[in-house]
Amino acid sequence: MFHWLEERPFFFAVGVFTVVSFAGLIEILPNFAEASRPTVGTKPYSTLELAGRHVYIADSCNACHSQLIRPFKSETDRYGMYSLSGEYAYDRPFLWGSKRAGPDLHRVGAYRTTDWHENHMWEPVSVVPGSIMPAYKHMFSNQADIETAYAEAVTVNKVFNVPYNTNITMRDGSTANVKLPATYDEAKADVLAEAKIIASGMKNQDVKDAVERGEIPQIVALIAYLNSLK
Amino acid sequence: MKNIVVVSILISFVLLGIIFSYVGDIIGDDLVNILSMLAAIIILGLTVGVGLKYVNQMKNDKASGQLADENWDGIGEFKNELPVGWAVSFLSTIVWSIWYWFSGYPLWAYSQIGEYNEEVKAYNKKFEEKHASISDDELKAMGQSVFLVNCAPCHGVGADGMDGKAANLTKQFDSASVKYVIKNGSNNGLIAEGVMMPDRNGLININTGNAISDEEINVVSDYVANGFVGSKGAEVFAGVCSACHGTDGTGMPMVAPNIKNFSVDLVTAVLQHGKTGAIGKMPSFKTEDMRLTATQQKAVATYITKLKEEQENG
Repeated sequence: MFHWLEERPFFFAVGVFTVVSFAGLIEILPNFAEASRPTVGTKPYSTLELAGRHVYIADSCNACHSQLIRPFKSETDRYGMYSLSGEYAYDRPFLWGSKRAGPDLHRVGAYRTTDWHENHMWEPVSVVPGSIMPAYKHMFSNQADIETAYAEAVTVNKVFNVPYNTNITMRDGSTANVKLPATYDEAKADVLAEAKIIASGMKNQDVKDAVERGEIPQIVALIAYLNSLK
Repeated sequence: MKNIVVVSILISFVLLGIIFSYVGDIIGDDLVNILSMLAAIIILGLTVGVGLKYVNQMKNDKASGQLADENWDGIGEFKNELPVGWAVSFLSTIVWSIWYWFSGYPLWAYSQIGEYNEEVKAYNKKFEEKHASISDDELKAMGQSVFLVNCAPCHGVGADGMDGKAANLTKQFDSASVKYVIKNGSNNGLIAEGVMMPDRNGLININTGNAISDEEINVVSDYVANGFVGSKGAEVFAGVCSACHGTDGTGMPMVAPNIKNFSVDLVTAVLQHGKTGAIGKMPSFKTEDMRLTATQQKAVATYITKLKEEQENG
């Protein structure tokens, strides 16, 4: 019955491979395809948020903070709903982190506010007694790199088809639309408008003045990014 | 043949001897260790026995039976009956695989999320049972621990708001907060969805017939913030605020909240909806977002209410 196969080692090997990999194909692939879709309520980062993400990466926040809530009660009690893989659809690269010297930040936008981050980044022990986190005062004077952030947004939009300028259904049924203007100048104006909203929630007068002048200090971009983590 | 048997038995004893020299002194204490040692001896014996059987067979057996059609470079294969045990196991794996495909994998597979859900369900059930009739003291203790984890990062360990970084919860209001609410109104959903306090243009003093003035705002803000003391403030309060908040400031159900004392209802409403005020924005700690359960909200509310009472009573 199997003489034909038994006489042809190559096709026999192909047959063995097909049969063995069959279970993997039907069990793993559908899960994989489903989990890699963006979860409902996941929207792309705005240009300002991307600039904040770059600050987050440049200052190695991910060395001490994870962005991955595991499905254990002790974690969901503290950080909120466990993370789903589809929520990282627009993270390039993902910032799961591998160590928690500080708490997880995957949903920090849901329970911390702009002015809390401001106090905390200026002097962590002022709001968290005993905190070992260093202060990040340079973020209040250094400027965020909006040009690179805009370039990244345009790139992921063109290459990976990240849905900018598209209506996205959020978890509560509303729609969100993350704008990506066609020119850098328009993008700068959008970023400034977004930064002004963040700055209005801040107390530091230097930062407020800088945003009034049309500058984007790193702290504003970083807070925009942290607030977007929900 | 004899040599093989002798050598095999010799090797077996040497192996057993090596094992015994390592673990010999702990074997005697425990039945399990003795059984393990016994099993090791049996397994070794069986291995040697089976090995000997086949070596013997290879040496002495003569070819017999019918050859199969296949022939590989002169090496043939006998047509043998399938061993019954093998055939039965093979068929049962087919039966098992049908179960596994249609029921085992899709319905009974291990799921990390499933285990999490069961864990949470079991915990919540236990929690509800344990705290079905919870006393105020227990609520306060629970509230304190929830407060330290969820609220202290902004309101401070002592609930004093850390120099204005958040509201000072040891007193209910400072006058800046009251001013902010009078000027901007409030739509924090604290009493019910859609019930909102108008901004200053909608706050009419029934004594003068005009919208509340800057001076009146200052006076009544201090009056409310300082615990309803002062005759001038009382006058404005009676004219502007009492229509909804009641003459003594304790509020009316479904109309306006109690602004004289922290009430459990008010604090749980703030926790559920979040709040925007003079200092900034407080995020919500909604049950739906898995932040705080109803019991935990009530516990925090009780803790804060007691905190203010203790502060006032010295």
